Amino acid sequence: MTSPNGARPLEGIRVADFSWFGVGPIAARTLADFGADVIRVESEARIDGLRHGEPIKPGKTGHNVCAYFNNFNADKRSFLLNMSVEGSRDVAYRLIERSDIFVSNLTPRMFERWGLTYEELCEVKPDIIAAYQPMLGLWGPYRDFAGFGAVLTPITGISHLSGDPDRMPVGVGTNFPDYVVNPGHTVVAILAALRHRRRTGQGQRIELAQIESVSATMGPALLDYTANGVTQQRKGNRSSWMCPHGIFRCADDPSSRERWIAIAVGDDAQWESLCAVAEGAPFTADDRFATLLGRRRHEDNLNAMISDWTASFDAASLAIHLQSVGVAASLVHDGEDMCEHDEHLAERGFYEYLDHPETDISLYDGPIVKLHRTPGYLASPAPLFGEHTYEVATEVLDYTPDQVAELTASGVFS
Amino acid sequence: MTPGALDGVRILDLTSEMGWYCGKLLADLGADVIKVEPVGGDPSRGRAPFWQGIPGRETSLCFWYFNANKRSVTLDLGQFDGRWLLGELVNTADIVIESWTGAERAELLELGVDPEAYMEAQPALIWVSITGFGLDGPKAGWEVTDIVAQAAAGIATLAGYPDGSPMRIAGNQGYIVAGISAAQGALLALLQAEATGEGQRVETSIQEALSICQETAHLQYDFLGTSRQRVGETRRLPGIGTYKTSDGYIFSMVGIPGFGAPWSEVIQWMDEHGLAEDLTEPAYLETFANFDLRILLEEEEQAKHATTLNRAQEVISKFYESKTTLEVYEEGQSRRLLIGQVATPADLGESPHLAAREWWLELNQPTTLGQPDAQLRLPGPPYRLSETPAAIRRAAPQIGEHNQEIWVDEVGIPAEDLIAFAGEGAV
Repeated sequence: MTSPNGARPLEGIRVADFSWFGVGPIAARTLADFGADVIRVESEARIDGLRHGEPIKPGKTGHNVCAYFNNFNADKRSFLLNMSVEGSRDVAYRLIERSDIFVSNLTPRMFERWGLTYEELCEVKPDIIAAYQPMLGLWGPYRDFAGFGAVLTPITGISHLSGDPDRMPVGVGTNFPDYVVNPGHTVVAILAALRHRRRTGQGQRIELAQIESVSATMGPALLDYTANGVTQQRKGNRSSWMCPHGIFRCADDPSSRERWIAIAVGDDAQWESLCAVAEGAPFTADDRFATLLGRRRHEDNLNAMISDWTASFDAASLAIHLQSVGVAASLVHDGEDMCEHDEHLAERGFYEYLDHPETDISLYDGPIVKLHRTPGYLASPAPLFGEHTYEVATEVLDYTPDQVAELTASGVFS
Repeated sequence: MTPGALDGVRILDLTSEMGWYCGKLLADLGADVIKVEPVGGDPSRGRAPFWQGIPGRETSLCFWYFNANKRSVTLDLGQFDGRWLLGELVNTADIVIESWTGAERAELLELGVDPEAYMEAQPALIWVSITGFGLDGPKAGWEVTDIVAQAAAGIATLAGYPDGSPMRIAGNQGYIVAGISAAQGALLALLQAEATGEGQRVETSIQEALSICQETAHLQYDFLGTSRQRVGETRRLPGIGTYKTSDGYIFSMVGIPGFGAPWSEVIQWMDEHGLAEDLTEPAYLETFANFDLRILLEEEEQAKHATTLNRAQEVISKFYESKTTLEVYEEGQSRRLLIGQVATPADLGESPHLAAREWWLELNQPTTLGQPDAQLRLPGPPYRLSETPAAIRRAAPQIGEHNQEIWVDEVGIPAEDLIAFAGEGAV
C-alpha cells in the first residue's frame, strides 16, 4: 500500500527501539505506521518473551511465528545487539547518534547497567528524545518494583473498580493498559517533544511512569477520594446516569456460542424508543420504569425483565434494530466476530493482512488513528529475528563488511 | 514559566465527554484549548462525581478533571449567528476537535457546519472527528457509549467471570482510548501541517482504537480459528490470580519463568514467616525447583503434579490472607515477585510512592458564584517531559466564562454586537 497523498508525517525520523514485550514496542509501532524508521534492538541473550508467547502459527516453531509479537512489531527492522558483550555499548551509541528517538520500557536498573541513561545518550546525541517507560518511574520508593499490564491493572485502581460488586476484583482479562493507554500516552509525549525540537533544536527526556499514566485515566474516581474522601466501589456494568445500562444474554448462535448485547439508555426518549422496539414485553407497560429514577430504583427487576426479552433474539440483529431508533447498542464481539463477521470493520479495512515468510498471510491491527491525507499503514510484516542486522550495521551504522564480521564473531551482533 | 511543547497552537474543542480527554492531553502540553459549548453548557457537565456530593453544572469533579486548562465560550449552532460566530472562531484555530453523534453530525451538516468546507477555506486546518465507529462504513453514525464501544471492540467479552456476563472495564476507558488515539492523530497532522502547510481530516473510531486492547483474541482466531473467552478468577495454578489479604486483595503472578523470582522464593518467604507448612519437604521443593512453562501451559503436566499444586494453593492462600495488602505488595516486590496491590482510590490517594514523586497537583477550582473555591488535589499528568512538562495552568472554566475575552478581545467581535448576539441567545 502506498500513501495516496505523499509522505507520511514521520518519514526521515529514526527510532532506536530498545524495548520489549508490549508498551515500548507498541509505541514504536505507531511511529513506524506513520513513517518512522524503527530499529528494533534484540538479542538471543535476552529474547523478547512475546516471540515465544501465544498464539503460535500451527505446525511452526521458532522465534518468528508468534502473532502476539508480530502484530506489535510490523514495519520495523530487527537488529541483533547483545548488550552484555564487550564492544556492544559503542554500537548502541552509534545507533543513538544516528537516531532521533530512543524508546525503552526496560527497568531503570537495566538501562543504568547498559549505559543508556538520558545523560549518557545526550553525550552522543545531544538533541535525542528519549522516552523511558519504567513501571513505577525512574525514582521513588517503589522504583524497582516489576510488572506489566497484569500488575498495573490492580495497582492503578482499575481492578478494584471493574467487575461485579459481590465478587473478587479479578482484573479485566487482559493486560489492558499495555496496549493503548501506556504506548499511546508515550506517542503523544514523543510527538509533542518532536514539535518542541523542531522549533527549538532541543531534545528532552520523557519519563512515562506506567503507574502514573494509567492512574491519570482514573481521574474522576481518584478526585472523588482526594476531594470528597469517597472510595468508589465497583458496580458491574451499571452506570450512575444511564439505565438500563448493561450486557444482556441473547439467543445462542447455531453452534451454541453464547451471544450477548450491550444496551445503554441515556434518557427517557431513548427509553421510549427501546419500548417501541420491545413492543409487548412486560417492562414496556410497567409504570415503575417510566422515569430514569424509577428505572434505577428498580434496576434489578428491570435488568431481569430485559434479559427475559433479549433471550430469544439474535444479538446482532437486535443491535441493528435498536440503533435504527437511536438506542446505543452492540453485539458483544469476540475474536471471531472481529475477524470474520463485522462487515463494518471489513468495509473500513481496519485489519491489514500481511504476507510473512513464516506465518503466511496474517492479521495485523491497522493504525490506531486515521489521517485522511497522510494515512499510516504497514509497509512490511514483523521482521524475522535479526533479519536486518547486516543491513542496519552497514547502511545505518556505516560499518564495513569486515567490521560486521568481527562484531558478529565477537558476539556483539547476537 | 517553563515552555509548553504545544505553545502557540490554538484548538477548538467542541466535544462532549467522549472527546474530553483529547483536548485535556493537548491543553496540558501547552495548547490554547477553547471549549465551545452550547448556550446552556456542555450537557456532559452533569457527570458524577460532584464536589462535596452536590450535583450541578459547576460542581462536577469529572468535568473539572477533564477540562482544566481549557477556556469556555458558548454559542448556539442552531442559530445562523451562532454558526457565523463558529466560522469566525475556526478562522483563528489550528485544530478543531469534535465528537458529534451521528444524528448531530447529520443535522449540523444540513445547517452548513461542514468540516470539509472549513478545510477548503483554510488549507492548514486540522479537523479531528472522534466517533464510535468512524465516518464511513455501515455503522458510521451509530450511537455509542462507553459500554457499547467496549462491547463492539471485543474487549468486554474477555473481562468478567466465565459464569457471568461480559464486563465493562471501569473508568470510561473507551473514551480515554478515543482521546489518546485522537491526540496522536492531531499531533501527527500538526507536525505535517507545520512542515507543509497542509492540514487534514483526522478520524478516530473508538471501536478500532479500543480493539487493539483485545490482546490476542483476534490473533488467536486468525491463527487457530478459536475465540478467546473470559477466564475470571479461575486459577489454574497456585500463586497466579487475585487473593484475599487480611485487609483487601492482592494480585499475584509468581512462578512464571522469565517473570521475576521463581516459586522457590515464595516458599522461602513463607518459611521465614513460619508459614510454609509442609511445602519445605523435599518432594514439594523438587517440583517447584522444576516448575516450568510446561506445568504452566499443559493440563497433562498439571494433572501429574496436582497434589503439589493443590497443596501449594492452600498454603499460599492462607499465607496471603495472614498479611496486609501493603505487606504482601512491598515484601513480595522486594523479593522480585510480580505482585500488585489491588489498590482502591484511597490507596492511590495515600500512596507513599506517588507522594514521594509529587505526582498530585494542587488546584484552586472556582465553584458556583458566592461559594469559596474548591481546593483540589488533582491527579497528575501521565508523563513527565523534562523541558516542556505537562502542567495545569488554570482551573476548568465555568459556562461561557471567556465569552468576552475570546469573542471581543481575540476574535474582534465589537462589544455591542456580542450583546446583541447574547440577546438573541446565540451566545
